[in-house]
Amino acid sequence: MAQDPILRWGGDAEGGAPFMEASPDDPTKLVGFDVEVAELIALELGRRPQFVQVAFAQLDQSAIRGDFDVGLCGIEDTPARRSMVASSVPYYEFREVITVREADEDRFKSLADLHGRRIATLGGTIAYEILLKAEAEHGITPVSYDDDVHPYSDLLLGRVDAVLLDNVLAERSMRRNSGLFTQGEAVEVGHYVVITAPSNLELRDRVDEILRSAMRDGRLEAIFRKWRVWNDDQPGLYARVLAAASDVVAGRPAATRPSRRELTLQYLPSLFAAALITLALSCLSMALAVTLGVAIATGRVYGGPLTRAVLTGYVELMRGTPVLLQLFVIYYGLAAMVRLPAFVAALLGLGLNYAAYESEIYRSALEAVPKGQLEASRILGFSRMQVLRLIRGPQAFRLALAPMTNDFVALLKDSSLVSVLTVVELTKRTQIFAANIGSWVIPGVVCAGLYLAMSLPLGHLARRLEMRWKAPSLS
Amino acid sequence: MEGAFAVMSTAAPMETVLEIHALRLNRGQRQVLCGVDLEVWRGEMVALMGLSGSGKTTVLRAVAGLETYGEGSIQVEKVGMVFQFHYLFEHLSALANVWLAPVHVLGVARADAESRAQSLLDQIGVGHRAHALPRELSGGEAQRVAIARALAVDPPLLLLDEPTASLDPARQNELGKALRELSAQGRTLLFTSHDDDFVRDYATRVVVLAEGRVVEEGEPRQVLTRPKHEATRQLLQVEPAKRRTRR
Repeated sequence: MAQDPILRWGGDAEGGAPFMEASPDDPTKLVGFDVEVAELIALELGRRPQFVQVAFAQLDQSAIRGDFDVGLCGIEDTPARRSMVASSVPYYEFREVITVREADEDRFKSLADLHGRRIATLGGTIAYEILLKAEAEHGITPVSYDDDVHPYSDLLLGRVDAVLLDNVLAERSMRRNSGLFTQGEAVEVGHYVVITAPSNLELRDRVDEILRSAMRDGRLEAIFRKWRVWNDDQPGLYARVLAAASDVVAGRPAATRPSRRELTLQYLPSLFAAALITLALSCLSMALAVTLGVAIATGRVYGGPLTRAVLTGYVELMRGTPVLLQLFVIYYGLAAMVRLPAFVAALLGLGLNYAAYESEIYRSALEAVPKGQLEASRILGFSRMQVLRLIRGPQAFRLALAPMTNDFVALLKDSSLVSVLTVVELTKRTQIFAANIGSWVIPGVVCAGLYLAMSLPLGHLARRLEMRWKAPSLS
Repeated sequence: MEGAFAVMSTAAPMETVLEIHALRLNRGQRQVLCGVDLEVWRGEMVALMGLSGSGKTTVLRAVAGLETYGEGSIQVEKVGMVFQFHYLFEHLSALANVWLAPVHVLGVARADAESRAQSLLDQIGVGHRAHALPRELSGGEAQRVAIARALAVDPPLLLLDEPTASLDPARQNELGKALRELSAQGRTLLFTSHDDDFVRDYATRVVVLAEGRVVEEGEPRQVLTRPKHEATRQLLQVEPAKRRTRR
């Protein structure tokens, strides 16, 4: 079989330096130690490296699908991962460390010191699993992020009290931000590995050989020194890897992993809890959207030219820009002025956005109430406010009900966007679940079932109300 | 014109309920009313007749305060109006349609307003439909509820736009009798109509409009039997044909 001349290697370019980032000199080129390790592997295989962009959380699934030949991007060695994909010998040893604000240097030295506090980390990492365990043991609250920059900025803002991540990321954040302190003692030790599709053991074995030879001849050390991440932990790791037979990994016992069934049972309660968060967030956001929407619609129908112009501007702005952007602006953008808790920011973001859509529904419903109804009211002597409250409003509400229900179902689903603000709702929890058990089948089905369980009764209720208002009653 | 006074059904001293003077009203370039003069006295039942486009409905709407007019004056106290298509409040029962304004506009206690509403509905013959929603009512029933709703705030003058338009002859007679009853109670009615039989039978006075002006008025039997004005003659020629096609 002819060998493919190209070696597709997967990673997440958002990972940033020193792993990989766009070169400051040429943004179309990637640089970083993982880039150089990938190039080294390609060179030894006699193939040309070609980068494939994959979201960090999806690397395993992508490897299984065959999107790339080898994956490397600060990928941690975990039992879960080893049960899903083929992973190489470790090529770098890191320590999970706690970073705190300088003022808390002496106060928060270990996870146990952080009882009742919020600790941030990157979702889908060993650090996150450590925090989940610490949640039970030490009563801390894990906060999961999709990137490794905002945990540290939120630490400075006081939204969290500590960050648990590996020393490479911690050191980088210390260079970027002042006012942070990283505790010296490791919470846990871990390793970066190269992954391949589970069926491609041949390639994985070749990668092992290449990594071992690069450890022996100092090429790997040269790469890490160049990126200033070489430290005293590495020679020990190399010695252990070179001494051991193929897949013994230093420091970590091989899979003593619970079965998928057990894991599923363990995760189910957390899915129900997350569904409650989704429901609470959606109901509160909708309540805000409805209240604000009624006010906006009333202002646009009854207000003067200035009021109308301002409200129209608001509606166009909220409808014309992505809700994701609005969430970012409210949570991170306004952080310098007002430090909103994540749930409140999520509620505001969704509520303010949906208010624009609701107001359009109410406005057209108000305008759809026949003119004759308003004339009849006027002759009877009702004031404008009374007409709105007693006659026009109630009739418009009946017209608005169906589109409103529609919007509420859409909001239920859009609420999954707030995971970017560290709110762990149903979709995010499902993602974490899926990443942990290495399959989307059960989590996907359960998640879909929970969303339907929330949306179907709503649709049913709305239809019944509509029927009651439309069909002649049998009195 | 003197004939109008002769048939008035009330013995009370004559009191002006509505006075329209030189009313002019334009819609864009079109002159809809070009100087209408009209006076209505307490207890009268005045029919406004005229071909389509003659301005009948516009006069009613102007009196009700639904039209802004260019010149002239309208002197009237409170009015009640029954629209051709009734415009009952669709989300409320017949009874609530009637008590809503007394409670919220006049500040009458809810219980009092409700029992008064029920007796108004009883009086006009739809008491048994008090709890029906407007969409469950027949055209004739809806019209009576609309009349009760208008009367609930005790307007000195009741306006009705084409009250006979959607009624068969039997229902027309019932309506006529109900209106005559109201008139006997001292209420004043001004209504538009295409139907010369109904006007002949029930109105105390007829006013004929043509091209935005009053062209003839008087006792219905006289005016409709021996029309003086060309417009009135045309009206009488057109109407029977219209009625035939309607049946």
